[in-house]
Amino acid sequence: MKRFIALLLVVSMLVSLTACGGAAASSEKRVFKHGFDLDYPPYSYINEDGSMGGFDVELAQAVCEHLGWEYQAVPFNWDAKDAELNAGSCDCIWSGFTMNGREDDYAWSKAYSDNTQMIMVKKDSGIETLADLAGKTVGVQTATSAYDLLNDEEGQAELCKTFAGLEVYETYTIAFNDLKAGAIDAIAIDVTSGQYLMSGSEDYKFLDEMLGSEQYGIGFRKDDTELRDTINKALDDLVADGTYAKIGEKYPEIKDFLCLGK
Amino acid sequence: MTLTTMLTTMGAGMLRTIGIFFLTLIGSLPLGMVIMFGRKSKNRVLSAIVKGFISIIRGTPLMLQLLVWYFGPYYLFGWSIKGYRYPAILIGFIVNYACYFAEIYRGGIEAMDRGQYEAAEILGYSKSQTFFLIILPQVIKTILPSITNEVITLVKDTSLAFTLAYQEVFSLAKQISASETSFTPFVVAGIFYFVANYVVAYVMDRIEKSMSFYS
Repeated sequence: MKRFIALLLVVSMLVSLTACGGAAASSEKRVFKHGFDLDYPPYSYINEDGSMGGFDVELAQAVCEHLGWEYQAVPFNWDAKDAELNAGSCDCIWSGFTMNGREDDYAWSKAYSDNTQMIMVKKDSGIETLADLAGKTVGVQTATSAYDLLNDEEGQAELCKTFAGLEVYETYTIAFNDLKAGAIDAIAIDVTSGQYLMSGSEDYKFLDEMLGSEQYGIGFRKDDTELRDTINKALDDLVADGTYAKIGEKYPEIKDFLCLGK
Repeated sequence: MTLTTMLTTMGAGMLRTIGIFFLTLIGSLPLGMVIMFGRKSKNRVLSAIVKGFISIIRGTPLMLQLLVWYFGPYYLFGWSIKGYRYPAILIGFIVNYACYFAEIYRGGIEAMDRGQYEAAEILGYSKSQTFFLIILPQVIKTILPSITNEVITLVKDTSLAFTLAYQEVFSLAKQISASETSFTPFVVAGIFYFVANYVVAYVMDRIEKSMSFYS
């Protein structure tokens, strides 16, 4: 009898322990670590009040809210994105991240935004077509899709050879200053980033001919398809309840390029 | 991308890095001397201006200074800055390092014993003779380790030239790493910097030994 009571006690203790464990796990929210470049408006940037904002940040926050997860921002150096992702310091690269040409390198979400690469010039520059760029100096940001496109033999490498020179910048902000100052003649840039840079100024325009087009997606570790599927599902839900479009409305540069649910 | 292609691509960047390195040294070592004389000038106004200038240069990031040197002429005076990129990089580096060298020189000179000057005066040396023949050789010997420090820092600081879209070795490493999703370019760049600094340390060590005239 004594033994039976002891056993009963042990069992009840174990049960209460697991119960405690279960309760603790459910109250501790899963943390979603959103890895992004904080220097890539309008997808991610520092708001006027100093907080982090941008389309990607808001959408990721909405996804976390929807899933009941805790959102954690992991702003990283764009050049170190793969090291950050592989080291597990972030769960994904979600930062206006081009899928095209990187199809096999990550587990990709659905494309959530279209994008095109354009040439941005001063209105009075006299440059009207891509052919006019012959003998001109063009600026581009390093490790961007516009940069890849201009160096890709199947992309616009031929066009690039007609330039007097291609200046490679660390950020588009500096390239834009150079365009303003007349040190370069044009900038090859994603249309969304370009619109953001020239917003509030009438002096610049895009050429009608575009350089190329592509899609943005969220890149996960290749073996992390489970998380990828969860996020895909959540994005579908946000499209269905209108949150996706609502966030898009806040970003005039992006809203015409949203492609989920189309 | 094969390792050979990677090395040739990055090799061009290494040459540019080495270019900035040598031109900065050639410019800043003498300029530092000039700034030091200004700092030690008996003219209070000149001395104060130079002191203020040194404090600004040492108190702000080199990256910011590069931006100011390059875009300053355009934003302040509306001048065209076409083709001014490389000169701006060199001005930024040379002025920055000259200020550090100036303070190192000053430290070395002020460490010299008064007795040296008195002895030289008694022996009939003129002021400039005293400085160049007696003081300076001893100063150089004293300050060499500090100079080595700065020179090694300079090798690594050259990567800041990319702020003004100058494709030196580290920016190329970043670009290749991004397009190849590989860490190898960083390893290559790391080895390059290490070897470059090893050579610097070796050369400086030889110079120090050649000047050890007391032992």
